[in-house]
Amino acid sequence: INRFVLEGQMIEVAWTIVPAIILIFIAMPSLRLLYLMDEIHEPTLTLKVIGHQWYWSYEYSDFIKVEFDSYMTPQDSEDKSTFRLLDTDNHTVLPMNSFIRIIVTAADVLHSWTVPSLGVKTDATPGRLNQCSFLMNRPGLFYGQCSEICGANHSFMPIVVESVNTNTFINWVSSVSESSDDWK
Amino acid sequence: MASRLLFSSLRQVQKLQKACIHGRSRIGNREVVGFGYNGQYSYQDRVDFPMPAIRFKESTPDIVALREKEKGDWRKLTLEEKKALYRASFCLTFSEINAPTGEWKSIVGLACVFMSIGIWIVILEKLFVYKELPASFSEESKKAQLKRMIDLRVNPIEGIGSKYDYEKGEWKK
Repeated sequence: INRFVLEGQMIEVAWTIVPAIILIFIAMPSLRLLYLMDEIHEPTLTLKVIGHQWYWSYEYSDFIKVEFDSYMTPQDSEDKSTFRLLDTDNHTVLPMNSFIRIIVTAADVLHSWTVPSLGVKTDATPGRLNQCSFLMNRPGLFYGQCSEICGANHSFMPIVVESVNTNTFINWVSSVSESSDDWK
Repeated sequence: MASRLLFSSLRQVQKLQKACIHGRSRIGNREVVGFGYNGQYSYQDRVDFPMPAIRFKESTPDIVALREKEKGDWRKLTLEEKKALYRASFCLTFSEINAPTGEWKSIVGLACVFMSIGIWIVILEKLFVYKELPASFSEESKKAQLKRMIDLRVNPIEGIGSKYDYEKGEWKK
């Protein structure tokens, strides 16, 4: 039954070489595109993201120095419309239609800053800065969760990116920096 | 005399060793009739290698006599003799080799048993192990979250925001 499908050297060589050639023709433009996709196009804004156990902290230091932490809203909140495990107390407000560069690092253990709707996943490694860029072309809230196991509350450190128009963003940044100045 | 005895016994040992190496000693009195499956003296009923290396049964005097008769005219052999000759050389006929074994019934039965064990485990887990769902799974909570998603225009291109008619304030038909 099986002795007629053994030892067919010619056809085996043929059906190995031909797909290999086809795959090379597929791979070359694909690799080129992959590297092209990673280019940084003159970012408008740089956001620094630092992962801690078990919250994210954000720094906007381009023009005014703004820093804040972002913790998950606790699950026993009264409001029925909170998205469980996804909402945070402080949203990361960013302007839409502008290229944003984020630099991600971690303070203690590995984390990963992810927002799937924006196609962003960047690992946060302590002692290393990872850069990523994205552009948002509609306003709204974009949710994400930490994507690298980091301890007991790894599932409880979400990310909320709030995309607003540029004026709202400027107002927000000045109000946050003023309120933190009031502290001092 | 002693040396001759020694040599003769050595020769027998050599023969035994050769027999062991080639396997002839393991097959008893069965006659070798060809190359077979892989050159070894084994008997197998296989449709793709129909001629095994050895006969199935040991050669007894009446079989040897039948084989002599087989060398003559075959019309002189009775049906019983032909069947005896076949069964001396082969264990099963082709239709016996290809006959259905009914093995599938036991396989299907065992598969069903294991599936039912799995289902029982899930049922018992649901009854005794799992905790209550959190408060955000209540109908009221789910409605409030859905309303919030619609208000936020989540996934307006292909997702839930695209299925809601914002001008009329209701789901798209």
